[in-house]
Amino acid sequence: MGFSGCQQKSPRRLVMSPRGSLLFFILFLINIYAFVNCDAGTSLASGEQVESPSLAWYPSSPADSFVPLSLMSSFPEDLEISNYCLELLGLFSQRYSDYVKCLVPAARPVRVCLKCYSGYGSLLNAYTNISSNQMGPGNESCRDSLLRSDRLMLVYVLFSNMQDLWEKSNCDFCITEKFQNVNNETLNFMKNLNQTLSCFEKYQQGNHTELCKNCKSSYKGLNELYSKMEKTLCIDVEDAMNMTRILWSKNFNCSLPRDETVPVIAVSSFMLFLPVIFYLSSFLHSEQKKRKLIQPKRLKSYTSLMNIQDKQS
Amino acid sequence: MSNITKKVSWSSRGDELGAAGEGTPLLNGSEQPRHSRQFSEGGSLFQIGRLSTVDLEEEISAEEEAARGQPREIPHNEKLLSLKYESLDYDNIENQLFLEEERRMSFTGFRCLEISRWLICGLIGLLTGLIACVIDIVVEKLAGYKYEAIKQNIERFTEVGGLSISLILWAVLNFSFVMVGSILVAFFEPVAAGSGIPQIKCYLNGVKVPRVVRLKTLVVKVCGVICSVVGGLAVGKEGPMIHSGAVVAAGVSQGRSTTLKKDLMIFEYFRRDTEKRDFVSAGAAAGVSAAFGAPVGGVLFSLEEGASFWNQMLTWRIFFASMISTFTLNFVLSIYHNNTGDLSNPGLINFGRFESENLNYNLYEIPLFIAMGAIGGVLGALFNVLNYWLTIFRIRYVHRPCLQVMEAMLVAAVTATVSFTMIYFSNDCQPLDSEHAEEYPLQLFCADGEYNSMATTFFNTPERSVRSLFHNQPGTWNPLTLGLFTLTYFFLACWTYGLAVSAGVFIPSLLIGAAWGRLCGIWLASIASAGSIWADPGKYALIGAAAQLGGIVRMTLSLTVILVEATGNVTYGLPIMLVLLTAKIVGDYFQEGLYDIHIKLQSVPFLHWEAPATSHWLTAREVMSSPVTCLNRIEKVGTIVDVLSNTSTNHNGFPVVMQVSDNDEPAKLCGLILRSQLIVLLKHKVFVELAGSRLSRRKLQLKDFRDAYPRFPPIQSIHVSQDERECLMDLTEFMNPTPYTVPQETSLPRVFKLFRALGLRHLVVVDDANRVIGLVTRKDLARYHLGKYGLEELHLAQT
Repeated sequence: MGFSGCQQKSPRRLVMSPRGSLLFFILFLINIYAFVNCDAGTSLASGEQVESPSLAWYPSSPADSFVPLSLMSSFPEDLEISNYCLELLGLFSQRYSDYVKCLVPAARPVRVCLKCYSGYGSLLNAYTNISSNQMGPGNESCRDSLLRSDRLMLVYVLFSNMQDLWEKSNCDFCITEKFQNVNNETLNFMKNLNQTLSCFEKYQQGNHTELCKNCKSSYKGLNELYSKMEKTLCIDVEDAMNMTRILWSKNFNCSLPRDETVPVIAVSSFMLFLPVIFYLSSFLHSEQKKRKLIQPKRLKSYTSLMNIQDKQS
Repeated sequence: MSNITKKVSWSSRGDELGAAGEGTPLLNGSEQPRHSRQFSEGGSLFQIGRLSTVDLEEEISAEEEAARGQPREIPHNEKLLSLKYESLDYDNIENQLFLEEERRMSFTGFRCLEISRWLICGLIGLLTGLIACVIDIVVEKLAGYKYEAIKQNIERFTEVGGLSISLILWAVLNFSFVMVGSILVAFFEPVAAGSGIPQIKCYLNGVKVPRVVRLKTLVVKVCGVICSVVGGLAVGKEGPMIHSGAVVAAGVSQGRSTTLKKDLMIFEYFRRDTEKRDFVSAGAAAGVSAAFGAPVGGVLFSLEEGASFWNQMLTWRIFFASMISTFTLNFVLSIYHNNTGDLSNPGLINFGRFESENLNYNLYEIPLFIAMGAIGGVLGALFNVLNYWLTIFRIRYVHRPCLQVMEAMLVAAVTATVSFTMIYFSNDCQPLDSEHAEEYPLQLFCADGEYNSMATTFFNTPERSVRSLFHNQPGTWNPLTLGLFTLTYFFLACWTYGLAVSAGVFIPSLLIGAAWGRLCGIWLASIASAGSIWADPGKYALIGAAAQLGGIVRMTLSLTVILVEATGNVTYGLPIMLVLLTAKIVGDYFQEGLYDIHIKLQSVPFLHWEAPATSHWLTAREVMSSPVTCLNRIEKVGTIVDVLSNTSTNHNGFPVVMQVSDNDEPAKLCGLILRSQLIVLLKHKVFVELAGSRLSRRKLQLKDFRDAYPRFPPIQSIHVSQDERECLMDLTEFMNPTPYTVPQETSLPRVFKLFRALGLRHLVVVDDANRVIGLVTRKDLARYHLGKYGLEELHLAQT
């Protein structure tokens, strides 16, 4: 049983207090063995621990001494991560940072799909390598050691964040399968969009009515194209369209004017007038319904409320 | 003390008559003076006559004869009792035939009856659920086509101009749908108008409303509801479901249809009012449960409206019918929506789920809820008062079917016009949201990518509008939009209820309430400290909806449970109950519930839970009708035919006495026989003289009476030859030998209790020698009611 070198990439470090050691023991028993503590010798301190045979490689030390955490030592070999897995992790890290670097500048205006799809493709690739069941050279799988060894599950969480982002932005709808290219529909849309925007640019100066008139056809075409596209669209297309619409309706004020007020008011007041006529005429011309009262048969001396008088007296 | 009371109530009669003229300035308008003069003349003369003749009996009667000779005519008002309504025979007739049949029946026979009762309840639930599905699907489809067409039209004309054409298109579409529905109702089955809940309430109360549970009514009702909802009126399809369920129940339990002339020869035992009424209450419950997905609410509705005759087994069976009904609807709709087996569509109206975090409520919100309940009560009372005047006007002036159809069509066109104008002038634009996808978003003059938020409420079926008011996120509407919507919809709904179309008032009430409730929510959120989320508009929309509905219909227990079940969140039980309680208390201070108003205006002899207070001084002697037309135990056929054919009296039950004396002296009672029984007897010619030859024929059985039920032929259709008129009929076997009787000194509340609790139709008043001196019927009891000035008496009238 030997200690391997301190790993720079080991994601976790645990500072254990006496109580913590018990916790550690439990954790150990439930098979969390990728626990890399670079400073086991000093941070772990517990007299009882020594008796535990499985933890025999922890040298006992005074409980109260804390050594700077940069001093790291290694775990025995069978708990250590293989070089193969480390390589995979390194690749993942590289691609992850590349993808994020691509994403952030594409936040506004949103171009996260069109600009960074290839980055996502390679990230996905790297992650698949880690998470696949496939055995590496040493007949080992990196899935358990890299993804599930601790409760933080950093690699998994990082990736699933990106995956969420990708799914939320519906990027699959703009990109061809296997992240090869942007699909034709989107390209077509972007082409139209550029036309429209350049038209806007052309007439931006001066009177907007000019713009409204001249760019109407290209804007219309874009709008139609957009509504013809599938129900779910990737965020890039959606955002581009939204921006164009805001430009068109709000900035350039090209919305339809409300210019038919008079006929609408005329027609509706005619309609509203009809019931008035109806009720008036039915009141004046319709004969009022009368009810025939019927005298009930009663004891003669007790006709109706007469008894009131009787009772009074 | 009593002196004063009496004087007041005496004068109240004058007031009452005068009030009919004076109190309706809105309606009578220019004609008013004439009426009131006519009126008060007749009225006061009459009264003075009576008043002054306390000790001059002879003269009075002479004057009354004169008054009877030319019947007084008055305009329709709420203080009348119509002659066309009769009572149901809930009481069992224990005559010899009945006893015989019971003797013949084995133990297994009774077992079978019990099983078939369960079977019928299952069938009722099943069919009611299916009808609800049909209504739902057809409405959804047709409304979809309609809105799609109008939407396309509006989109086209927004661009090129000519939106007034879209307006006309919308009006014409509404117009034509409503025309179909209204023609069906006005010309074919007027009793199918409205929600049907007042009628069912009357039926469960024991009043036989003519034609209310016929197959034809059901067909007209279903088609009418579809037409009026698709026609865009401010109505819902939920109320009519209750009526439909009741008709289904009445039909299924009889095992035949007289309209279709089909007799399946099953369930013959249930062909009488007692059994039928039990099934009708099950049907009403099934209807409620299909409409709201509220099986328990359905049972409680039946309990609340018709609770005089209940036992544990009946309740259990009714619950079974309700459950089956909501399950059927659920299952069929799941198939229709292509996810078979997903049972998440329990009712026609679906409030959606109220489960999000900020929909929880806190203790400090309870006073707010109660205040909203009070607002609901006031608004509900206002709604009812307006509708009351409108209904009186309609009964008096818009009574011809063609006028009714025209009125409904006008309302439809105006509804479309108002909706369109509101949408047209609304500046409230909201961005399209993929999560709460609007069914038919209208852009009109909004910026591209936005839709007109006024259109989400007006340009939609009312059910969907309610749901979006409950669930759309805060900020979907701006307060002005909601305020305008509440105002217009309030008046539209008020105007629409009571038209000759079949449609309910539940959804419009919910919609009005949800709109102003949401407004309250928005207002509270704006005054609450920033960042707090307790004032969720959706929650207040629900409370407002409950308050408004409670303020209009004034149902209590059942409505609470229905709303709780429809929201699917039991924690709302307390606020909803408090809100309904407040709404009822506040509303009752001003005006009765809408259904009660309509029952009154229909002049139905409706018996409330209790006799009016301060009526203990009235005795059976004053209440009863007298003299009574009695029959001998062995009576001449001619006399019976004459009595039955007398149109002026049209009695339904006849005490059978030992020997009728010539000079109207009371005779000793020995039984009671009904008109329907006499007619069956006449039809089968059960005459004493033919007894010899009858040996060859089979004996009359209870089955013969049941076969004629429920449409006994009129007396005119029974031919009795001159010879036969001289024959005799022995009624002993057929009459009810032990009718309920009371002594003449029994007080009115006592008589009332007996009547209400036993479901009686006739109560014989006897003297100490068991001689018949009078007969109390439902109308004799229903005439007394507590008015503003003490006890008042309603008039009997021919309608």
